[in-house]
Amino acid sequence: MGKVIGKIFIFLLATVFVFMWVGYAVTKMTGGEKKAAGAVEITPEGGETIFWGKGRCFTCHSMGENGSAVRCPNLGVWGDKFPLPIGKRAESRAKERQAQTGLPYTATDYLTECLATPGAYIVEGYKNEMAVVYAPPISLSLHEIKAVILYLQSQGGEVDVNAVNNPSEIAKKLHDKISAAGAAGGGDPGHGEEVFKGSCVNCHMLKGEGGKIGPDLSNAGNKPLKFLSESILRPVDAITPGYETWVVETKDNTKAIGIKTKDDAQGVEILKATGDIVTVARADIKELTQDKTKSLMPEDMIEGLTVKDFQDVLAFMMMQKEKK
Amino acid sequence: MYESDIANAEEAVKSEAKATEAVKEGEKKAEYPPAPKLTAADYPQIGGFNSRILVWIVAQLHLWFAAFVLAVPIFVLIIEAIGMATKDQRYDNMAYEFIKVSMAAYSITAIMGGLLTFSLLIFYPDLFKYLTSLFSRSMLAYAFLFFAESASLYVYYYGWHWLEGGFKKWVHLTIGLVLNFVGTVLMLFANAWVTFSMSPNGVDPGTGAFLGSEWDVIHNFLWNPLNLHRVVANIAYGGSIIGAYAAYKFLGSASKEDRAHYDWMGYTSNIIAVGGLLPLPFAGYWLVKEIYAYSQQMGITLMGGVFAWLFIMQAVLIGALFLSVNYYLWCGMGRSEGSVRYTKNIKWIAAAVVACFLVWFTPHTLVLTNQELKALGGPYHKYLGPLGIMPAKNTAVNIMIIMTFLSFTLYRRVNKIATVSWADAGSAVQAAIFAGGIGNIIFLGVYHGYFTNTAYKVASSIPQVSSTAVVIIATLIIDSMMFKGAKEVAPLRWGNVPARSQYALFTLAVSFTWLMGLMGYIRSGIRQHWHVNSIMRDNSINAFTPTIGYAAQVVTLAAVIFMAIVIFIFWLSNISSKKSAAH
Ligand code: HEC
Ligand code: HEC
Repeated sequence: MGKVIGKIFIFLLATVFVFMWVGYAVTKMTGGEKKAAGAVEITPEGGETIFWGKGRCFTCHSMGENGSAVRCPNLGVWGDKFPLPIGKRAESRAKERQAQTGLPYTATDYLTECLATPGAYIVEGYKNEMAVVYAPPISLSLHEIKAVILYLQSQGGEVDVNAVNNPSEIAKKLHDKISAAGAAGGGDPGHGEEVFKGSCVNCHMLKGEGGKIGPDLSNAGNKPLKFLSESILRPVDAITPGYETWVVETKDNTKAIGIKTKDDAQGVEILKATGDIVTVARADIKELTQDKTKSLMPEDMIEGLTVKDFQDVLAFMMMQKEKK
Repeated sequence: MYESDIANAEEAVKSEAKATEAVKEGEKKAEYPPAPKLTAADYPQIGGFNSRILVWIVAQLHLWFAAFVLAVPIFVLIIEAIGMATKDQRYDNMAYEFIKVSMAAYSITAIMGGLLTFSLLIFYPDLFKYLTSLFSRSMLAYAFLFFAESASLYVYYYGWHWLEGGFKKWVHLTIGLVLNFVGTVLMLFANAWVTFSMSPNGVDPGTGAFLGSEWDVIHNFLWNPLNLHRVVANIAYGGSIIGAYAAYKFLGSASKEDRAHYDWMGYTSNIIAVGGLLPLPFAGYWLVKEIYAYSQQMGITLMGGVFAWLFIMQAVLIGALFLSVNYYLWCGMGRSEGSVRYTKNIKWIAAAVVACFLVWFTPHTLVLTNQELKALGGPYHKYLGPLGIMPAKNTAVNIMIIMTFLSFTLYRRVNKIATVSWADAGSAVQAAIFAGGIGNIIFLGVYHGYFTNTAYKVASSIPQVSSTAVVIIATLIIDSMMFKGAKEVAPLRWGNVPARSQYALFTLAVSFTWLMGLMGYIRSGIRQHWHVNSIMRDNSINAFTPTIGYAAQVVTLAAVIFMAIVIFIFWLSNISSKKSAAH
């Protein structure tokens, strides 16, 4: 029996090792195993680890002969289409971008933009399919993105640590966007804007556009994240002063519910959730009460949003800071 | 700049704290605390020990043993009932031997469960605390049920010969039913904890604070899909492990009777394993579909990006499963001289299975180096490229299943000849059903795969699956009528199979084991950096998603430990039976 056991065990071992080898080979062919470390330095080497690891860039991009991804622009020298590696390419692309926008783009700005707002300037022949790498599932931090930028620059370009750490006007905004997303638990503010336009703009004013039922959110980013998320999840728990819900009952028994926009000797003016304004003369009021259990902001707002929508819209809110 | 990042973050935390106070003002204190927000310092480190790998391996071992231990009583009960109905003592003996093997595994399951709990408590204390706060009642119930499980298992096993004959046998069967019921409920609880971490429910989506209903937490989005998937997979898995046991005994037995007995046992286990294996892809489809429905993001993580390559691994493993099942059936035809009528067909079936396997194995983007790509002129090979897409794969899987079923159908008739008058017509109809089914599957695959848009591609899988089901069911019905009172031409001689057929049973068991390990990795991997998806973040230093190669190593290590323990159990049951034989 002992001999049989030995034979069987060897057979089993051989089989699992074949499986392990296949797993290994697959990994190797798809970009190799550069384990994503917990924290990286802001250096090209740190960025390299991110590129081939946590950042998942390698699932879409190859770097010259390295990697096997073919869906998206090769970031090294590759055929006729990509005669320059990304470090050098960024310099010429920055000039194109400058011509297009009139803003003084540097190579660093261009690369920062590629990562912060991938759709801003799309590589010809490709679609706007680049992942938002600072939102889930990849969720790179600003720190890690800086490292990646240095790695990209090290591919044939000038590694500009100074520009990465002391961002220009253009890059600063992009950095803010990334930080905001990180602070909001990693949402994608770009998509958040769409969510906002879909679900919130009817009631909320943002930079002069939108409804007046709720408070202007142009400065929402100055409020802490926790407050913003509470406001959406449980609006009634923290009603913004001036936006309390009032119920007016008239003597002929009609009711109006909304925000009191005027209350004087003549009467009151109620702004309903629909946007309609109802004016009731003082003489006609039977009862005027504040309903503390209701906010005009819908209680079930969250039900219409997916978790991702919620995080994204939060990230978008975090970015709303008007220049002081 | 980095320092200033930290400063900013600190400021944000401070102002957040202030605002939280502000928000809380006037509001009654929340009933349940939110999910904790952790930092790397909240995860105890002991030496240079990799806690994640430890928890991973222990959890996987627990799952393997538990799957086996839960599945065996299901089919033991069925076999026992068959024995009772047919009054064939052989079934009863086999059922008893099955449950005997699972007894030793039972205590190991419990040990692994305990180890898992301790390692979670030690290395992931906050997560554990959060989960226990949500699942307090079900965890308590679990503990009590565990006693019930042990009690019923012991009575069922040790009372086997005591509760024999007549009414007593009914009592015994009832205990078996209770055992299965309790076991299933135990698993449903454990599944709830797992699926909660993937698709949390019953907690505040913003903070993770418990909303008060434990049922909501248990009855989360992926609970039922996973329940179904696990029950089916457990049966297939239990069958495959028992099959390995029979193969082990077969290879070690000297007497003809023993060989015959273990050959028959191995065959039965194989049928059980295949019976579980065939519906498994469909249970899998449902699970994936529900994952998509729950979160598009999670679905994309699963089917796109890095994890997509994992399905090539899965294809290799499932291909190995199908090939070994077929191989075993073909070898088994040698048990009867009647097989000469069919052996010439085997090579065609073999060719078809291998061809399907290759189609399935063809990755969407061929795994090539960039040089090779340049030579080929694009990522999608001109001829092989289209084979990488989903409809082609669905087509291949369905045909593979039908071919395996064909092997089985032929196997079943090696020893007999149908005597009913319409036998020829019946066979012709069956052949037509097979041909029609395969034709329809191919047509659907080609039509939907290449001539319609993407939305329909996925849709094609449903009629394909239905075709497969129709072929299987219709053939079984015709067979059962056609072979009623059939003439036995060459009896099946159990034990009359080559030793290499037994290695097919081992391959089946080990591929299954490894496959389960791999799927476990992906199931928890798609949560990415979350302990509880989108509610509680994993902030340990191990929060990265391991690559397939890394996971393959861990799974292999775990599988080797598992195999060593299992062989030890087999060996134990061997010496104990030697002793009782000597008595
Ligand atoms: C889901 C696939 C995907 C992932 C993941 C991805 N990218 Fe991209 N990337 C694209 C696509 C598609 C484009 C071209 C469209 C565009 O310009 O937005 C692109 C464009 C770029 C460009 C501009 C290239 C040029 O020629 O100007 C850079 C730089 C870049 N990506 C860097 C990265 C880095 C760094 C990462 C990892 C942190 C990454 N990408 C991850 C898909 C991806
Ligand atoms: C039906 C109109 C309505 C819709 C739609 C609506 N809100 Fe509101 N919102 C309000 C009102 C009214 C208030 C003030 C009362 C309160 O605080 O509950 C408010 C308050 C807020 C506040 C607190 C603002 C402050 O400065 O105190 C935030 C943040 C907010 N809403 C975000 C959103 C977001 C994000 C959405 C879209 C997902 C949204 N709202 C959709 C009506 C609405």
